[in-house]
Amino acid sequence: MRSRQLLAKAIRSLVLTTSIGAALTAQVESPSAPYQVDYNHDIRPILSDNCFACHGPDENARKAKLRLDRGEYAYAARDGKPAIKPGDLLQSELWQRINAQDAAEHMPPAESHRALADAQKQQLRAWIEQGAVYAEHWAFVPPRKSPPPADDVSPIDAFIRAKLAAEGLTKAPAADRATLIRRASLDLTGLPPSALEVLAFTADTDPLAWEHLIDRLLSSPHYGERMALPWLDASRYADTNGFSIDGGRHAWLWRDYVINAFQVNKPYDRFLVEQLAGDLLAAPTAETRIASGFQRNSMITHEGGTIAEENLINYGADRVKTLGEAILGLTLGCAQCHNHKFDPITQQDYYSLFAYFNATNEPAHGGDGGVNAAPTVDAHSVLVTGEEDALRDRIAALEVALATPSPAIIAAWEAQQRQILATRGRGLILHPVRLLKISTPNSGSGFKIRDERYAEIEALGGAAFDVSMSVPKLWLPITGLRIVMHPSPDHPEAGWGHGGGTEKKHTFVLTNVSLSAGPVPSDQVNLYRLLKIARVTANCWDAANRPEGVLNTNTSEGYSPDLSHEGPAQLTTTFSEPLPSDTAFLTAQLNFGQGNNLLAKRMEFFLVSGEDGDSDLPPIVIEGLGVAPTKRTTEQSTAILDHIRAHADALARTRNELANARERLAVRTDAFSALVMDTAEHPRETFILNRGNYADPSKKVTPNTPAILPPLPIGAPANRLGLARWVTMQANPLTARVAVNRFWQMLFGIGLVRTAADFGTQGEWPSHPQLLDWLAVEFVELRWDVKALLREILLSNTYQQASTTTDEASTIDRDNRLLARGPRFRLQAELVRDAALKISGLLLPQIGGPSVQPYTPGDPWREISHYGSSGATAQSFIQDHGDKLYRRSLYTYWKRTLPPPNMAIFDAPNREVCVVDRTNTNTPLQALVLLNDVQFVEAARAFAERILHRAGTEDERLSWAFAEATSRACQPRELAVLHSTLARERRMFAAQPDQATRLLATGESLRDTSLAPVEHAAWMQVAALLLNLSETITHN
Amino acid sequence: MHPIDSIAMQLSRRTFLGDAARGIGQIALGSLLLSSCASSRAINAAPSSSAPLLRGGLPGLPHFPPRAKRVLCLFQSGGLSHIDLFDDKPKLHEYAGKDLPPSVKGTQRVTGMTSGQDHFLVRPPLALGKRCGKSGLWLSDLLPHLQTMADDLCIIKSLNTEAINHDPAITFMNTGNQLPGYASMGAWASYGLGSDNQNLPAFIAMVSQGSGKNPGQPIFSRLWGNGFLPSSHQGVALRPGGNPVPFLDNPFGIVRGQRRAMLDELRTLNELRAQEIGDAETLARVQAYELAFRMQASVPELMDTSGESATTLAAYGPDVQKPGSYAANCLLARRLLERGVRFVQLFHRGWDQHIAIGRQLPNQCRDVDQPTAAVLRDLKQRGLLEDTLVVFATEFGRTAYSQGGINDPSSGRDHHGKCFTVWLAGGGVRGGIEHGTTDDFSYNVATNSVHLRDLHATVLHCLGIDNTRFTYRFRGLETKLTGVEPAHVVHSILS
Repeated sequence: MRSRQLLAKAIRSLVLTTSIGAALTAQVESPSAPYQVDYNHDIRPILSDNCFACHGPDENARKAKLRLDRGEYAYAARDGKPAIKPGDLLQSELWQRINAQDAAEHMPPAESHRALADAQKQQLRAWIEQGAVYAEHWAFVPPRKSPPPADDVSPIDAFIRAKLAAEGLTKAPAADRATLIRRASLDLTGLPPSALEVLAFTADTDPLAWEHLIDRLLSSPHYGERMALPWLDASRYADTNGFSIDGGRHAWLWRDYVINAFQVNKPYDRFLVEQLAGDLLAAPTAETRIASGFQRNSMITHEGGTIAEENLINYGADRVKTLGEAILGLTLGCAQCHNHKFDPITQQDYYSLFAYFNATNEPAHGGDGGVNAAPTVDAHSVLVTGEEDALRDRIAALEVALATPSPAIIAAWEAQQRQILATRGRGLILHPVRLLKISTPNSGSGFKIRDERYAEIEALGGAAFDVSMSVPKLWLPITGLRIVMHPSPDHPEAGWGHGGGTEKKHTFVLTNVSLSAGPVPSDQVNLYRLLKIARVTANCWDAANRPEGVLNTNTSEGYSPDLSHEGPAQLTTTFSEPLPSDTAFLTAQLNFGQGNNLLAKRMEFFLVSGEDGDSDLPPIVIEGLGVAPTKRTTEQSTAILDHIRAHADALARTRNELANARERLAVRTDAFSALVMDTAEHPRETFILNRGNYADPSKKVTPNTPAILPPLPIGAPANRLGLARWVTMQANPLTARVAVNRFWQMLFGIGLVRTAADFGTQGEWPSHPQLLDWLAVEFVELRWDVKALLREILLSNTYQQASTTTDEASTIDRDNRLLARGPRFRLQAELVRDAALKISGLLLPQIGGPSVQPYTPGDPWREISHYGSSGATAQSFIQDHGDKLYRRSLYTYWKRTLPPPNMAIFDAPNREVCVVDRTNTNTPLQALVLLNDVQFVEAARAFAERILHRAGTEDERLSWAFAEATSRACQPRELAVLHSTLARERRMFAAQPDQATRLLATGESLRDTSLAPVEHAAWMQVAALLLNLSETITHN
Repeated sequence: MHPIDSIAMQLSRRTFLGDAARGIGQIALGSLLLSSCASSRAINAAPSSSAPLLRGGLPGLPHFPPRAKRVLCLFQSGGLSHIDLFDDKPKLHEYAGKDLPPSVKGTQRVTGMTSGQDHFLVRPPLALGKRCGKSGLWLSDLLPHLQTMADDLCIIKSLNTEAINHDPAITFMNTGNQLPGYASMGAWASYGLGSDNQNLPAFIAMVSQGSGKNPGQPIFSRLWGNGFLPSSHQGVALRPGGNPVPFLDNPFGIVRGQRRAMLDELRTLNELRAQEIGDAETLARVQAYELAFRMQASVPELMDTSGESATTLAAYGPDVQKPGSYAANCLLARRLLERGVRFVQLFHRGWDQHIAIGRQLPNQCRDVDQPTAAVLRDLKQRGLLEDTLVVFATEFGRTAYSQGGINDPSSGRDHHGKCFTVWLAGGGVRGGIEHGTTDDFSYNVATNSVHLRDLHATVLHCLGIDNTRFTYRFRGLETKLTGVEPAHVVHSILS
């Protein structure tokens, strides 16, 4: 069994039987050496998988007081016989036991469900015979540069080539230029190149063209965004608090920090130091304080009833886990309840690391009401985008546009309003309804139905109230619901509500009205069948809280009466469609979501037939509309114009653009809250917790690093700054390896170590250990310069290979771990969406800022949230409009308990915990996203528009579009298919032009109406076809 | 077979093997699994020869002949009161309004909601109950329809959990761990056993809102999430109305035939390129599009209940007319189960009766009583109950003592994890029995404790799975639904 060939064969069979990739890699990096069993490579995985759980570092789980993870224990005589006697198989109890016929003697025992393969036994035999030499786990030994096996190519290529040669493979030819620019653009900017960029690069005869391209991409403004993506996963970045109610937080300043750090190529060690201890630096800046928010991305709760100590322990545990998996490549979390079963990490080590993070002022309960939990700072974004002047210009232009609506808009609005006013109150009949029930989630009393007529709220503190009522059988269609809010019957001058207003006159703010109706009664509104409301009016209102404020679920605005109004206030909703004839019951949910007891007191409900008699126009506007424009008073004219500016539908887009632009300018110029780390005046003490139980502390510990790893640098303080220095010191064997492995994973799809979060003994053996170490040392020698490292990898032949699969290579190495070809994998979720936005021309290349809420089907948040019961934000999804629909996907609002569906379907994690290795699946739901999600359908429409705006023949247009999506030239066979699609769709839409109009109405962006609808729709289908190509969402 | 086709087939299989590293294609519909080969040529060639392995699931599973082929989990979110509905005791009446004896209350931890109370006054059940059926199981009169099904129920009264607050408790019950990051029960089932229906997901979740407390405690997609398993095993949340599965419907203006034609062209282009560069993953993607297209027909057919008889509809009660209600979801659940969906889970919110239990609890019971009884009976009548395991579960029970004053209409009960009730029915379990007892105040387990991990082990057992051998390697550990502590199948309740 000593010959290399035999062993390689055994290893192959091992691969086939167990799929453990670790064994793929035998020591073929130096193929000429005679085979010597290597403990780390060959033996530890066997012992670790099969023995260490009971005979490893965890003393509590240890059986028979036997330890096999270190030589000094394994060699020790036990009843005269050691478990392992180096060089002497027969005197080694281990060998006897793994071959024992007697079930009681046999190891591993049957109940463990583990069994050694013959090949594994033979490896153990060879190892014992060769002297059973133990070695420290490879990842705990500092990396060093081995001399590359050849010097005619780059070191990277030399290591890769040597391994390929050992397997009898050769590298693939270089990829063509078009593939290369696509690959590099996706890797470094996350966006596909344009057809024009591809053309220019393929035509570039400069021998340095590739280098120039890499440099250009490394300095692209989108580089930082792209590099931030994996770090957001690792750092479990999200926009909500996570546990339980999962309210909103404001964490984006930290995201801006990450984008900027990569963009300006902050050295990676500095990047880590700032994030672990930016607040503790000698001269902390706003930037380094924001950076310390890395460890504030953990989940928190404000669930009532949760136990403070338990929460704080959970928060801290997540920090240790994240430190381990994101930075050190260690599954530290395993040592929370007991010593690590596989790695030499003790519970003492675990809690000593825990102690570093257990010293802040962070409260056990926090984050309610959309307010960041302490500690926080107010700071400006670190990103410098230089867009302020342009924004100011844009704001000025939009203000002018809004100030001077066109005569056509004015005339159309006036005509429409006159028409509404003309029929106002026509045939109006109010039908009293019988009230059945009133309820609110968090209280059992303090509200009631009086005389089946009034819903009365007496007690303070609630938010949403559901009122169910029976709908009488009427001959007339029911077109709306009126809610009359009565002043207090005893003291009418005291007003309609329980809070706010003036000292004397109290009022309410009704922030949302949701209605549902059906044939059976319902105590609560049916979220799945909300009635669509076309219009809301009132008999009076407060200027800041107009009637239509009840239409959205935002609690920042709502309906409130004009304080000077006397008598009942009434709000009337008009449904989009009259109620169905079988309606027998209606339920109204009335949300007074602003707190401060802004609740109504006594409400009465009426069903409406005919035309609503109220209006949403102020009286002076109604007066003005009653006379010809020339006869209006100045006040009337001004009021009408003001009203048009503020409310006319035709100006909604302008108002939205203005609001977005103003918000964006504020993002660039104002300070915002960021979650940060700090140190309490009296930091909490940290104890080892028995079985990880917060209520069972034992020995007290102080901040320290794991004993198995090199000690803290001399003079390192006993705080997070000391930890950060230790993480980034040259002697730390893990940090640089883990980092380069993840950069490699980003580029090649799989890391040199597949288990990117686990470099411990249960992790996978590196496919190219010497290359990994070479890169790790190189990275440090490059002073942790990420761009330089990436540049070096991209310049390798390995990176530049074609990804075309050959039968031979795919049989031997299906996962391409040996890299006999270039990498190929589906784009990650965010890049799938970004590519569609880029290709369509809709992408807004705006860097940084708060998260946005693009298209999402319905309001999935409200169905699972605490909406109506809590002051927490992010309980109901409110879609954004305008620019915000077209931002890159890393800016999409990430609600942890329900992440964006169109990205979750593409394997995006929920960001509850650290993730460094997303899965990559291929499912029908993904097909449905690309085919039917408004975001992608609209992208097809806009892409079609771009195509149609290009001059040229149909062939030229199709070819350009194909290249724009796939970054390569269209082949004749492919072109023929596109032609047939176009022809077929033209016929289809020409026969049914209404269908074209319907399809083109998808999405909120403006359509170029000069394009003929049938033609536009037909090209839109071609565009959709191109966006759905597997190649379009693939990194080749 | 061409090598690329063979790899494409492997890719499909790899889903079931859980191999999910980047760069490896996987095909599954949510958890819908491929039941045909991975390229057109392969389909035309020989679909039958490979049929057994393509139904999905792990090789070697089930470990032994299963008693249940599928699971219906009726999850009552918020903490259903075992005291009021299943576990009445004379002492609860005798001690009404008096302090719970300290010897019973013990030192076990209580939540911050009531830990500050001066008194822990025993609160008797809200309603009377009776012994029902031949078995004589006791059920509250708040559940009159369920009372008629008593002889089918296997009531476990000694369930317990360490968690006492919603987020950790409901996460524990659904994923086997109190903290996020783990795979849900249905995801495990999908991963292990795959699907029996090629046109529907293997794991479907549906949410309804309670009329006792609305909104109820928030719930989270992690409860039906894949955790560390490949995301193709995550539960697909089915919602009422248009687009019951997200993005299912074609855009306005596109008709089915037109979509078909476009997909044919898409397939042609994808296959051309895939053959040229040896791209098996693209061939698998072609199949994913075909499945998506089929799903666009199968899901609306599933959701369309117009073919259900008036008798059937009436059995589920009036709420079955309300889309999205628990009753409507129960009916859909039956339709899913009869189509071979592996794991159907309903989440009914609103069981968190801290306050106003007198008003809220009857409403909650009305929501679920008739539909739950109806779905049991409906499954039974169709012969499905014998190989469908029904699990009626919650994250914890409620305290024997009152939160707030006994006579205060705003009072209720706090969370209680030390003992609570769940029941099972159908495939693999004996009907008309009780397992485990609690003390005189239904406050502590008296006999036959069943930890929630034992429940998980038992559910897996009914599916033919040995929980100790059903593992997924994650972060160096062979992770199990039942966690690291030993879990015990409750053999005595098995049929």
